Amino acid sequence: MDPMTTTATATAAPVVGFDQVSKTYGSVRAVDGLTLALHPGETVALLGPNGAGKSTTLDLLLGLKNADSGTVRVFGTSPREAIVAGRVGAMLQSGGLMDEVTVAELVKLACDLHPKPYQAKDVLARAGISQIADRKVNKLSGGQAQRVRFALATAGDSDLIVLDEPTTGMDVSARQAFWATMREQADQGRTVLFATHYLEEADAIADRVLVLHRGRLLADGTAAEIKAKAGARRVSFDLEGPIDEAPIRALPFLTSLDISGQTVRIQSSDADATVHALYGLGVYPRNLEVAGLGLEQAFVAITAAEEAKQS
Amino acid sequence: MNSLIKLELTRALRNRKFLFFSVIYPSVIFLLVSNQTGKVDGTGLSVASYVMVSMASFGALTAVLMGNSERIAKEREGGWVRQLRLTTLPGRGYVLAKTASAAVVSLPSIVVVFLVAAAVRDVRLDAWQWFALTGAIWAGSLVFAALGVAIGYLASGDAVRPITMITYFGLSILGGLWMPSSTFPQWLQDIAKWLPTHAYAALGRAIEQSQAPHAQDIAVLVAFFFLFAGGAAWLYRKDTLKA
Repeated sequence: MDPMTTTATATAAPVVGFDQVSKTYGSVRAVDGLTLALHPGETVALLGPNGAGKSTTLDLLLGLKNADSGTVRVFGTSPREAIVAGRVGAMLQSGGLMDEVTVAELVKLACDLHPKPYQAKDVLARAGISQIADRKVNKLSGGQAQRVRFALATAGDSDLIVLDEPTTGMDVSARQAFWATMREQADQGRTVLFATHYLEEADAIADRVLVLHRGRLLADGTAAEIKAKAGARRVSFDLEGPIDEAPIRALPFLTSLDISGQTVRIQSSDADATVHALYGLGVYPRNLEVAGLGLEQAFVAITAAEEAKQS
Repeated sequence: MNSLIKLELTRALRNRKFLFFSVIYPSVIFLLVSNQTGKVDGTGLSVASYVMVSMASFGALTAVLMGNSERIAKEREGGWVRQLRLTTLPGRGYVLAKTASAAVVSLPSIVVVFLVAAAVRDVRLDAWQWFALTGAIWAGSLVFAALGVAIGYLASGDAVRPITMITYFGLSILGGLWMPSSTFPQWLQDIAKWLPTHAYAALGRAIEQSQAPHAQDIAVLVAFFFLFAGGAAWLYRKDTLKA
């Protein structure tokens, strides 16, 4: 192939492009008309409750499953072609490992199979598993096995790294160390896509968050944008005496209301305007607090709103 | 793919239990049952040379059938097969690597039986017969390598061991690898002669008798090879779509 054309298509095509992709198992629509594009250098988190279609989405992206309809392109080619070209490194959630061989032997195999391999000893060092290189793969702890899987995914100079629930089975410090390693990968200009159910990880690490629900893309933006979309801020205060609910519920930009005892909790998409109007009611709120929503609450709010819409 | 073959082989050679059963065990049985003088009825072969072919075939069968079916079933379930699909390894590379490493282990299991037979039981054959025997038994083991792969893709992790065992002992005993099938009742002999293991051992015996292999034995082996290999390929494709 002409090298000029290769470069031209590579820059023109998004790293990953899903166009109206659907995948059904029996009567369950695991992925439902999904359209999305990932761009070079992005670190993207794929969020969603269990059964949202995260794993199916990654399987489609990696060519492990074929879509019923729609097209999946990776670097402008089919997923398999992108893998054969060495452009994709991936770590599966329950990616089995070969038993009865050592960690070093397995990593060496991954390097041998990669078209643009790194030195096995560098891969081991980067994944933080040099000291367990001689251990048998079937004798590893859950967290160590995850690091070995990570080493397999980063055995060569891939442009896209895909990780499905990469920190499952790791304790907090191992998780932090893992993400530091992952950051290095992203800092080298790689595109990183990871599925996670740890929302704080998505919040801290991702440039972009995709929220998947019942196989559809519910939200796509920075963590801050997702929070804003959910009704960005939380307002809480105490009132004395009997609380008249109706005027409070009528406050502008209010998205949810919860009154328990003397305490009122509000979510608002424009907290400034809501608080301003609150004083306009002639009440005297005490202990007033205005705080941002965590991504977790935003996530719950978005998916709950969707559930309500559908039922 | 060579690196996967190398690693599969390293692993097979490291597994002492597997090596014992495929390389040492057939020779041990050979020594136990070949300690008789005289000829086996209707063959003109001494008991030692008759049993030598049986046990060399049995050893090769063990090497190609036992390890692979269980490994494939377990690795399919554990997700290693999926992980390999994320590499440049072509789809059939995994199966080919498994078969190739089994073939490397089956060769010593054949040769060791021959060495023991020649050294301890004084089995004497022409040079061409030794080479032809080795070649025929080695090549014939591919039929059972294909069967091992098919079972590995057919059975789930829990069921694979009993299924392999039943197949393995059934084929070994009924095919006449443990005792001459001429000792069976007639109705069983009628069934046994259509088994691939029977044709497999008959191939070796024809060479010992300096005869051309019987067309029926070759036909049976070829038919079973296509059946097993075709089945393995079909099951493999089904498994790939399921992933």
